[in-house]
Amino acid sequence: MIFVIDDDYIMAECIARATRRDAEIFPNAIEAMNAISDGKVPEMIFLDVLLDGPNGFTFLNEMVSYEDTARIPIVIVSSLDFDKDLSSYGVVGVLKKETMKPEDIYEYIEKYSD
Amino acid sequence: MDVEVDGILVAAHELKAPLAVIRQLALSFDEMNSRDEHIRSEMISVSERAIKQVNDLIKVKRLESGLFEMEPVSVRAVCDDVTKELNYLFDYNRKELFIKYANRSRLVTANRELLYSVIYNFLLNAMHYSSEGARAELVIKEVKNRVRVVVRDFGPALPVDIWREMKRGFINKPTSIAMRPGSSGLGLFIASRFSRYMHANVGAVRHRDGTSFFVELPVSKQASLLNDFCN
Repeated sequence: MIFVIDDDYIMAECIARATRRDAEIFPNAIEAMNAISDGKVPEMIFLDVLLDGPNGFTFLNEMVSYEDTARIPIVIVSSLDFDKDLSSYGVVGVLKKETMKPEDIYEYIEKYSD
Repeated sequence: MDVEVDGILVAAHELKAPLAVIRQLALSFDEMNSRDEHIRSEMISVSERAIKQVNDLIKVKRLESGLFEMEPVSVRAVCDDVTKELNYLFDYNRKELFIKYANRSRLVTANRELLYSVIYNFLLNAMHYSSEGARAELVIKEVKNRVRVVVRDFGPALPVDIWREMKRGFINKPTSIAMRPGSSGLGLFIASRFSRYMHANVGAVRHRDGTSFFVELPVSKQASLLNDFCN
């Protein structure tokens, strides 16, 4: 199972479709965190940063702090510019929403998903 | 910054997300049949150009914080990249792009990203306003210790008021250009703001059969010293 966390549902659907896997969409970080607490642990996560409620960075902090989620590969999908290394938070890549292509998403799936 | 311009910049930020979605939706379609595939490619291409313009507007706001570093830049390399990106658009609209590099291969002091946008906007403007079948020209030449990039179109003449603003080297806000229908003057506004940031001269020359827009940048002294040392 792949998680896509993005408050823009159409964008989230495009990402989910590009994974070519079973993907679940969450409009905010809280719903995704609740799903994980209920035992639904994803293989990989595509995460937007600017979200309603807790933002993507809060979610990253939460994920890295638990033993069962600390190693889940996370790809940030955002319009923001990032120049910081976020690998210590499990971030394996950053995609810019304005320039990414469906095959970029699938490349991450092939590389990091089981 | 002018309140009206500030409003435009805020709107630009808001437009970024829906444009990215439109582009992503077009990319999500499986390749259409050969007859309709050009529609899909056009949707992608139009949304990418709109995203680029929106990003440029967001950069106008960021100029205030001085985050764009000045460095030695090859004008030829930047022109090569811009023309590579826009060539298909000239072909698609059945217009010719003539390129002539008449300068020595010297580096200028600029910010690569901003210079790219200035030349991109000039060329896009020339593509839009050259008459069908006519050509646009991109010429690089040297004027004393500066490198001048000129983009010439063969379309409607530039109105005197816009020419005066260009002569002053600074367009205060986007202004629609009556003789160029559909033009909001946005490209020239962006080009003038970016040029000013780079301490480059920007201007326009009116011809009877079109307009030449130019940006003139100082040759990099740092790179020249290195060049002299190596020689």
